[in-house]
Amino acid sequence: MIRKEINRISEVGKALISVEGNPGVALNHVVELLEAGTNQSLSFAKAINITEDSTRFQVFNGTQGLSTQTKIRMHEVPLTAGFSYNMLGRRFDGIGDVADGGPEIIFDKYVSTRLDTLNPTVRLVPKQPLWTGIPMIDVFNTLVKSQKIPIFAGPTEPYNRLLSQIAQGAQADVIIFAGIGLKFDEYHYFKEQLSQSGNIDKTIMFTHLAGDSQIKGLMLPDVALSVSREFADQGKDVLVLLTDMTNWSNILRNVANYQDQIPSLQGYPGSLYSELAKRYEVAADIEGAGSITIIGATTLESLEDPVPDNTGYITEGQFFLDNGKLKLARSLSRLKQQVNDTTRDDHRPIMTAMASLLADAEKAYEAAEVGAANDTFSQKLLRYREDFIANMEEPFGEPIELEAALDKCWDILKRHFEPTETGLSKKLIEQYWN
Amino acid sequence: MIKNNKTRTGKLISIQDSLVKARFYGNVIMGETANVIVDGKSLQAEVLQIAPDPRNSDAGIVEMQVFEDLTGAQIGDQVEFTGKSLSVLLGPGLLTSIWDGLQNPLYKLGEQNAYLVPGMKAPALDEEKLWEFTPSVAVGDKVNGGDAIGTVPEGRLTHSILVPFNFGKCKVESIIEKSEVNITETVAVISDSQNVKHELKLAFRWAVKSPIPFKDRAIPSKTISTGVRVIDLLAPVSYGGTVGNPGPFGAGKTVLQHSLCKYALADIIIMAACGERAGEAVEVFKDFAELEDPSTGDSLMNRMCIFGNTSSMPVAAREASVFIALTVGEYYRYQGYNVVLLADSTSRWAQALRERSGRQGDIPGPEAFPMDIPDQIKGMYQRAGADQGTGGSLTFIGTVSPAGGNFQEPVTQATMDATGGFWGLSQDRADAKKYPAIDPLSYTSSVYDSFISWDDRNKMLQTLYEANGIDQTISTIGLKKVPVEKYVLYQKGLTIDFCVMQQNAFHKLDACTRPERLIVINEAVQKLIDSTINFAQDDKEDEEVKEMVKAKFDELRQWWKDWNLSAQTIDKMAVLPQKVEQFILQEEYTL
Repeated sequence: MIRKEINRISEVGKALISVEGNPGVALNHVVELLEAGTNQSLSFAKAINITEDSTRFQVFNGTQGLSTQTKIRMHEVPLTAGFSYNMLGRRFDGIGDVADGGPEIIFDKYVSTRLDTLNPTVRLVPKQPLWTGIPMIDVFNTLVKSQKIPIFAGPTEPYNRLLSQIAQGAQADVIIFAGIGLKFDEYHYFKEQLSQSGNIDKTIMFTHLAGDSQIKGLMLPDVALSVSREFADQGKDVLVLLTDMTNWSNILRNVANYQDQIPSLQGYPGSLYSELAKRYEVAADIEGAGSITIIGATTLESLEDPVPDNTGYITEGQFFLDNGKLKLARSLSRLKQQVNDTTRDDHRPIMTAMASLLADAEKAYEAAEVGAANDTFSQKLLRYREDFIANMEEPFGEPIELEAALDKCWDILKRHFEPTETGLSKKLIEQYWN
Repeated sequence: MIKNNKTRTGKLISIQDSLVKARFYGNVIMGETANVIVDGKSLQAEVLQIAPDPRNSDAGIVEMQVFEDLTGAQIGDQVEFTGKSLSVLLGPGLLTSIWDGLQNPLYKLGEQNAYLVPGMKAPALDEEKLWEFTPSVAVGDKVNGGDAIGTVPEGRLTHSILVPFNFGKCKVESIIEKSEVNITETVAVISDSQNVKHELKLAFRWAVKSPIPFKDRAIPSKTISTGVRVIDLLAPVSYGGTVGNPGPFGAGKTVLQHSLCKYALADIIIMAACGERAGEAVEVFKDFAELEDPSTGDSLMNRMCIFGNTSSMPVAAREASVFIALTVGEYYRYQGYNVVLLADSTSRWAQALRERSGRQGDIPGPEAFPMDIPDQIKGMYQRAGADQGTGGSLTFIGTVSPAGGNFQEPVTQATMDATGGFWGLSQDRADAKKYPAIDPLSYTSSVYDSFISWDDRNKMLQTLYEANGIDQTISTIGLKKVPVEKYVLYQKGLTIDFCVMQQNAFHKLDACTRPERLIVINEAVQKLIDSTINFAQDDKEDEEVKEMVKAKFDELRQWWKDWNLSAQTIDKMAVLPQKVEQFILQEEYTL
């Protein structure tokens, strides 16, 4: 097939180029950029803004080295992602090209990266717990198959370690690792961890390292999620690890800025919410097919930053990591109610009771800082708080089964309180206190 | 409306995300819908702005938002104008339906493809289903817009077949006998004052931005039993009222919405899932179908319809979804039903307007929202109301998702200004897992009547205020310096909070409290507030007394909580005030 070529780039910016006139490209379709003279392929680009006077493209490999002489070859299709079971165990870049130096892959098929919305009527109501062996998750914020949930953490927290710990025990057929703006050591860490836990053969890594072309990072979730979706459509349970979506949002912000879009909060485009939602909503348990669970990482300085704030409204809860501990107060699994009523009968009540006592204890802790926590009960609360942080909020260590974790909860309560102080019902107290 | 058989068309000259411009010759109407033809697929669009063409004085340029993904669109693609503004199909079969934001039925679309692909369409209401039509007018009768010409049974409701509201005085020319018809068949012919004949069917289209009129608008006066104690006692809402429900993420908006869906007493619940998680709407139409309607015992879905423009669906259709839901609500209000519309979330609706105005290059207002956002929000809430002419009402409960949980942001502020009730969810209460996290002490208010007297309501609030004040004192100077009687007051407040304000939305009995139970609870609460409690102080130190007071109150709270979870019969319910009485006298309890 002979493809139409044009040769009139008029503007080259940071990640974007523009062409004068109307070359006949359709919205979101892909073109290839070729070096004038040699016809060597330099990059692909996507049409994002078309008028009768000019067309603007996002350049996947960045615009360094492009000139007004660079040729544009039309492909007349939107960006697709290659799909094959041979991708398992391999590493790819943000647009699905082989990135591990290994042999090229012959793909079985190419899938659309448009991420069309799944019809809500074919979604199943999620009802299957995913046990992690981490009491803070299993007891207090149970994870559910097809959930979308990020880890919120400061940039220096061990969020990648937690992500990898959750992945290790996860009951999934396929693991899709999608890393945006990764430092090399982070990439290396994940690779090591996945190899050590024997999961590497069921993993596909899509990686974008810090410093790689921005547009490739921007495209990465779409490519990774489209491939995930194909596995799920074929009946597989897929776990997607998405780290770090703050990096991705920052690329989105940069590109919006290059396009002169009117910013809303802190320079992010007004569409930040919709853009994040489009990706996270791919998580689903599909009737008659498989499922996609997304665990992400969102680094933040403050919870009020637009990225974690918008993410919190989109995802089904969040795990909040602070000082290396998984904090109860700010963590939430919105789907836990779907699964934690069929476990042991003390599961829900003890979760509520301990949380409520911990909130009181936090107040006592603040009072103690000004020397006001001098009554007996406040002292109890303070000791409870210390115990809870050390023994419950610690996410790293040997995995613990749910029943053992619940017993551990009772032990902690017994160490510090009288039965009536817990707010737990008489029936449960009689059953579990002694 | 333009009556012209010639299709008016245009050609695309600019495409950016969901916003396009087209060049046209002839006429274009502000607000009309159009179809953009992309790769043979017809995508729905709406006219936003009309301007002259600087290059061609014979032509004009029309700016439109397209409700579906435009991938593949090119310069020169055809645009066909329809002459009709965005409208909703009103008729029997609305209940139990689940649509996308443009009234495409999702189950029907699901038969075509598991994914929502641009250009997919299906009839809004089932065109095959037969309805038993009973005429209520005869040939020669005079009818006006909004009058019924007959009825069909829709589930347990009687659905009146109305003359469209924009009709003036008309005469019935013909009407069918009692028979089974579908929505595409003509059931009557009427002639207007110009003697023009109009065919009437069971269903008709109505423009979503033209409010359906009231017969006789009235002040909302009858309190809704929502089943949620803190609402029904302290921040109630009446049939026809408006409520804004803001909260940071994780504060429990969704659980509260689901509680209202399940337990609020109303004839019809409409859910506009506007820009929120798809899973939440799915839970409603898949799991709630198995639950019972509290007033009829039917499947809960029989009183519901759902518009789902979930967060990954096209943003441009988000604005439409709320207006479509409102129009359906007004339609049933006109039929005399009590409708509750839950819009989750109005912030996503406002954000959709922000995205659009940003693309159009409008000068932004605060936080880049359109300058007129407060007026648009007010206009939306104003469409709710009670109608004493029909006996129906439309109650509008909108959630607000403030950025950063900051209630000072423009959408929350405008909502506070626009609504009669306000349920502010607090992050602190949610963190302490005190649900529902509606904070009665801040950002919570209501102009509507409660199930208890104003005096009782205010006393309850006052006690909570004072207890909160003492709590802060304890946190700053320590318990030692707080006098015993203040400490008792503090414990009273804690008890009201723990046993009454907090409620377990997932417990069969505790999840829903009806007025008769509220009255019993109020009796107990008022007793507790009014009475001095006879704690045996003997010669104990203050510190010891306080410990004893706390232990006694802990016991009472545990007992009360158990009562919340178990006392079902009238006899068992009546024990609560007695228990409190005995607690006040500090007698041993033997019942």
